[in-house]
Amino acid sequence: MTVFYLAGALFLLGNVAVALARVLRGPTAADRMLSGELMGTTAVAVLLLLYGATGIEALLDVALVFAILAAMAVVTFVRRTWPEDPVDDNGGETP
Amino acid sequence: MHPVEVTFDALLLFSMVVLAWQGVHARNMFRAVVSFMMFGLLTAVAWVRLEAPDIALAEASLGAGLTGALLLATLGRLGPERRGPRRRRAMKLSMLPWLALGLVGTTVLLAVTLSLPAPGLGEAVLAAMPAAGVDSPVTAVLLNFRAWDTLLEIGVMLLAVIALWSLGQDVLASTSRLPAPALPALVRVLFPLFVLSTFYLLWRGGHGPGGAFPAGALLAAGLVLALLAGARVPERMRGAPLRWAVGGGLFAFLIVAVGGMWAAGAFFAYPPQHASILIAIVEIAAGLSIGVMLTALFLGGEPTEVRRGRT
Repeated sequence: MTVFYLAGALFLLGNVAVALARVLRGPTAADRMLSGELMGTTAVAVLLLLYGATGIEALLDVALVFAILAAMAVVTFVRRTWPEDPVDDNGGETP
Repeated sequence: MHPVEVTFDALLLFSMVVLAWQGVHARNMFRAVVSFMMFGLLTAVAWVRLEAPDIALAEASLGAGLTGALLLATLGRLGPERRGPRRRRAMKLSMLPWLALGLVGTTVLLAVTLSLPAPGLGEAVLAAMPAAGVDSPVTAVLLNFRAWDTLLEIGVMLLAVIALWSLGQDVLASTSRLPAPALPALVRVLFPLFVLSTFYLLWRGGHGPGGAFPAGALLAAGLVLALLAGARVPERMRGAPLRWAVGGGLFAFLIVAVGGMWAAGAFFAYPPQHASILIAIVEIAAGLSIGVMLTALFLGGEPTEVRRGRT
């Protein structure tokens, strides 16, 4: 069962790596922010699976903190960053 | 170690290196900030893999939550960035000394790490645990055995708030734009959850990972959310009450420390039969005060006081 949980966590971490590509490519700031949020949600799931594998109860607290703080970044983004800087001045090019 | 674990760690490490590189070298500031936030997220997972859930909790609450919000807000204030094509070439040349410095630094750090005494102080802490007044070794070190360090950490935070407040004005006072209608509704639902988890983490701190710093960070996150949704520091809270809230953690800490001098004969010596309750008082005061201090940092300046009857 432990291996099953770990394999699930590995699969989700692979998803994080894919989301990483979206953070790098953009093209708009909103794309990067949304993939960042996706990574946050995935990290919660990874932590829960690691809890299943290890049984360290503190991981549930870490997952709780992640879940509750996820709203934070996106609200700050909407209120503080987005209207002033709607499109990346990158022109959508990849690095 | 199972091959799945090895693959997991390798992928985690790879993603972290990519994100760290992006955080420093991305040509676009926003990309750098998002990379930094995601780096904080994966760092917390890495601490979990290293079986250090206390640090993972601190990293999750401070690194991934509040720092990201601070950076995003700063980015919003900076406005559209200007950058010339010259910067890239200059950066490549200036990389060489940094690379050399980094190599030397890593080598020295490795040498120092290898020369450290092997078992560390873990056994000494465990031996002293019965007199600590709490069940969690980490909390015992932070608030009892090495409470002096924690006191100074809170002092440093207070100094940062004082420095920032003397530099400028409350940022939010200048924003008049009304928030989207959904935002206040969302915050009304979320804010009680933030307060609840703050006190949950404070309570957890007595016997497991948790404690004042993560709890304070969560409280600050809730308060910042409320500020972003259009809430303002109430008029009657401005001035002296807010300053007391900012300095209250350090003040309570100092009173307990000096009280120990009077009751047990040494600075920060808790009488063992009262250690539990004293640590709880310090933890709650420090947690709430840290929350207010972090929010004060987000405000960027002291909220202007409405003076009545005085000039």
